[in-house]
Amino acid sequence: MDELLSAGSRRWRPTGVVKWAFLICVGLFFLVPMLAMARFAFQAVPMALLTPDKFFTGWSVSGLGAALTDPDILTAAKNSLMLVVLAIILNLVLLVPLSIITEVRNPALRPYLTALTLLPWVIPPIALVVGVSATFRATVPWFLASIFSLVPFYALWAMPFTYRALDAGLQAINARTLYEAARSMGASLGTIIFKVLLPNMRASMVAAAALTAAMVLGEFVFASLLLKKTLPTEMVIYQRSDPRGGLGLALLVMILTALAIGLVVRTLRKRGLNVQTTGM
Amino acid sequence: MATVELIGIRKAFGPSVALEDFSLSINSGELVCLLGPSGCGKTTALRILAGFERPDGGSVEVDGRDLADDPPEKRQFGMVFQDYSLFPNMTARQNIDFGLKVQKRPAAERATIIERMIEVTGLQEQVDKYPHQMSGGQKQRVALARAIATSPKVLLLDEPLSALDAKVRETLRDEIRRLQLEIGVTTVFVTHDQHEALAIADRVGVMSNGRLEQLAPPQELYENPANEFVASFIGTVNKLPAVGTDDGRWQVLGRSVPASVTSSAGEANTAAVRPEQIALDPVPGGPAHVVSVSFLGPMTRVILQDDELGRVVADIISADATGLVPGQDVRARLRDDVSEAVLIGPR
Amino acid sequence: MRSLFRRDNRLGLLVALPFAAFVGLFLVYPMVVVIYKSVMSDGTFSLDALGRAVSGPYRTGFINSIALSFWSALIGGVIGLLLALTMKSLARPRWLHSSLDAWSSVASQLGGIILAFAFIATIGAQGAVTKVFMNFGIDLKSMGVSTTGFWGLVVVYLYFQIPLMFLVMMPAVNGLKASWREAAAIMGASPLRYWRTVAVPILTPSTLGGILLLFVNSFTAYATAYVLNASYPIVPLQIRFLLQGNVITGEEDLGNAIVFWVILLLLTSLLLVTVMQRRTLKWMSS
Repeated sequence: MDELLSAGSRRWRPTGVVKWAFLICVGLFFLVPMLAMARFAFQAVPMALLTPDKFFTGWSVSGLGAALTDPDILTAAKNSLMLVVLAIILNLVLLVPLSIITEVRNPALRPYLTALTLLPWVIPPIALVVGVSATFRATVPWFLASIFSLVPFYALWAMPFTYRALDAGLQAINARTLYEAARSMGASLGTIIFKVLLPNMRASMVAAAALTAAMVLGEFVFASLLLKKTLPTEMVIYQRSDPRGGLGLALLVMILTALAIGLVVRTLRKRGLNVQTTGM
Repeated sequence: MATVELIGIRKAFGPSVALEDFSLSINSGELVCLLGPSGCGKTTALRILAGFERPDGGSVEVDGRDLADDPPEKRQFGMVFQDYSLFPNMTARQNIDFGLKVQKRPAAERATIIERMIEVTGLQEQVDKYPHQMSGGQKQRVALARAIATSPKVLLLDEPLSALDAKVRETLRDEIRRLQLEIGVTTVFVTHDQHEALAIADRVGVMSNGRLEQLAPPQELYENPANEFVASFIGTVNKLPAVGTDDGRWQVLGRSVPASVTSSAGEANTAAVRPEQIALDPVPGGPAHVVSVSFLGPMTRVILQDDELGRVVADIISADATGLVPGQDVRARLRDDVSEAVLIGPR
Repeated sequence: MRSLFRRDNRLGLLVALPFAAFVGLFLVYPMVVVIYKSVMSDGTFSLDALGRAVSGPYRTGFINSIALSFWSALIGGVIGLLLALTMKSLARPRWLHSSLDAWSSVASQLGGIILAFAFIATIGAQGAVTKVFMNFGIDLKSMGVSTTGFWGLVVVYLYFQIPLMFLVMMPAVNGLKASWREAAAIMGASPLRYWRTVAVPILTPSTLGGILLLFVNSFTAYATAYVLNASYPIVPLQIRFLLQGNVITGEEDLGNAIVFWVILLLLTSLLLVTVMQRRTLKWMSS
């Protein structure tokens, strides 16, 4: 049924053409920068010298290759990877027991926990970094000097979607009913958590981990303002000396991010869980 | 008030045929129910009448005028939807006012009509409430008021009661009928609930697989179903063997009764026998035994297992059923006041 | 509260305390200190810093940031809404729905350096689109559409604003029942009238909420503007200058006051967003 047309009308109207023209314009807006970036990264011909006959010349992945073997980039990538792993672990350690206990023991507290875990999204990084400087820089300078100081903050920003994914998982398996049923059969709380609940929350945890990875691989504010060497900050520096390699790398990171988010959307949708990626 | 004529309507959605040569003629001021299982095409028929769907063939006429080129906006119909479909951004009053404003009626006239609509639907308490502040029954009353406020030529109701609780459903059903009679609007009511259809319709059209199986007043439909589908769809029915006798009558459950068709001796047919048309005689060693006895108030439902006939359902006036217990041997017979058999084709 | 300390709740405390301590230490404590410092100067209460944070160059920063956020939210909001409406009206092709959905999830997160790089390659000095337009004699840079100009930055921000608006609006647009349109039609209302009196009023709260969300989103965006080296001051870039101590004496603590205003602006906007969403939810449930 066509919303914009009068119901039941058989006459042809130009709105169909307008719609497709609009969609194509939006599509081009999304597509052109990506194509321009790819061309810039993989075609060693300056735009000024690009004439139609040279369209198929000079394509190579050498820029990306050089970037991928650059020692600074490798260190930064290692740092970022480490931050991803640590932020995921910290988040799961904090939130998995909390979400389970809340759901099975104190379900009345669930809305408060939801609100509390959303708090990091109310405070933008650019504001929090000022607070962090105002406090930790004077009191515990060694903390901010370490690359590990990013871990708690990355965990903090991953918290809203991690909790929501875990909570959605618990709701989907009817954790409270499962808990009560297992309890009535005499199972201990430990048995229930490890044998029943945790195996059923695996999809949620994978989703949270993938979203955290995507978030950390794009985070720039904290790393840059606290002068840390992560993949995003190093990419900016590298791009200044080798724009082609830098853009190639950025494209690669973007594709990895897209795959991570795509994976999440797919796994969760397949399980009928409502996934929220907005506001990351 | 208007007469409605659907002539030879065909409609398919892709490979699935929703309506096949569907014809229906409705008199002015009549309430016709379209009844059938889901997917039988009743809603499609209503939507074609409303103009939301275009038929692949056939025509729709109101007062003898072909509506083929009229979009829904031009048809001057009223409609009540299953999901109420009240505009959530408007109060009950504004919802009722919507169609009147579209018709550019003068303000004073609109106010009078709204007052009257509120009065007849008993919505005094709800006039200035928004839909999300009302119960399902109240919302459907507003929807009804909104649909009739514009004095439509034809009122269409698409399963208006199926989202409501049993109790509300019954009162609202009766109110719809009372209002319809009062304003005398030609009405098409689509439902899958036979009780609803039998209770309020002037005539009921039973549909299956895109066809109209039978169109008749409720009582005739019940007492004289045209075929097996109608017989089993309306109420409960026992399909029992009918055997022709020499005098052209039919032998059903041990009695010889006439039917619309004269029999030839030995001819086999099937009779549709309603549970309340059966009487039970306790006969030790009889051909049937009682499986269960359920008290339903004025009637008691007895389910029998008969050696020859299989499962038989009988509704006995409760006063006569006091002695019956499960396991008891009985014989089922046609009650004496049944003067005619309903045949629904050979077995 | 007493029940919280019952024996079987010790387990609850055991898991809740580390979480509370974590959020308290790394989020609440720094922000409380910032707010405190923004109104206290040498141990006495003073609104002086708050005043200075919105005067002089910082006033310009706020005005620029608000203008940038306003235009990118308004344009992105309108295009995102139209995109959602267009997609709803097109049942086919199915693949377009799922791919636009997935792409929006990715693109709405793309507010970082990758986006900046992509636009350097597109509308930068050596960008593909810049050169193509140049061939037709149109100088984009002189029109403000370059990676360092105001409208250039708006265009870049639209890249994540449009998908975000699409994601935010899709549920509301899908919530428009077909039977509302049919009910309006059968009562004689033209499609235009249905849109004017029913669909537009129903979509208004969620649209305003969505645009506010985009406003907040671009107000705090930092990475893109930083990498593009935007040539005029916006608040996030000014905060960076203050943080790195590139300021004259006496202004080191001005960062706190600026953050105070930013938080105030965001909280007000988000509160309004919540109010709008409540209303929409109420309507959609009826």
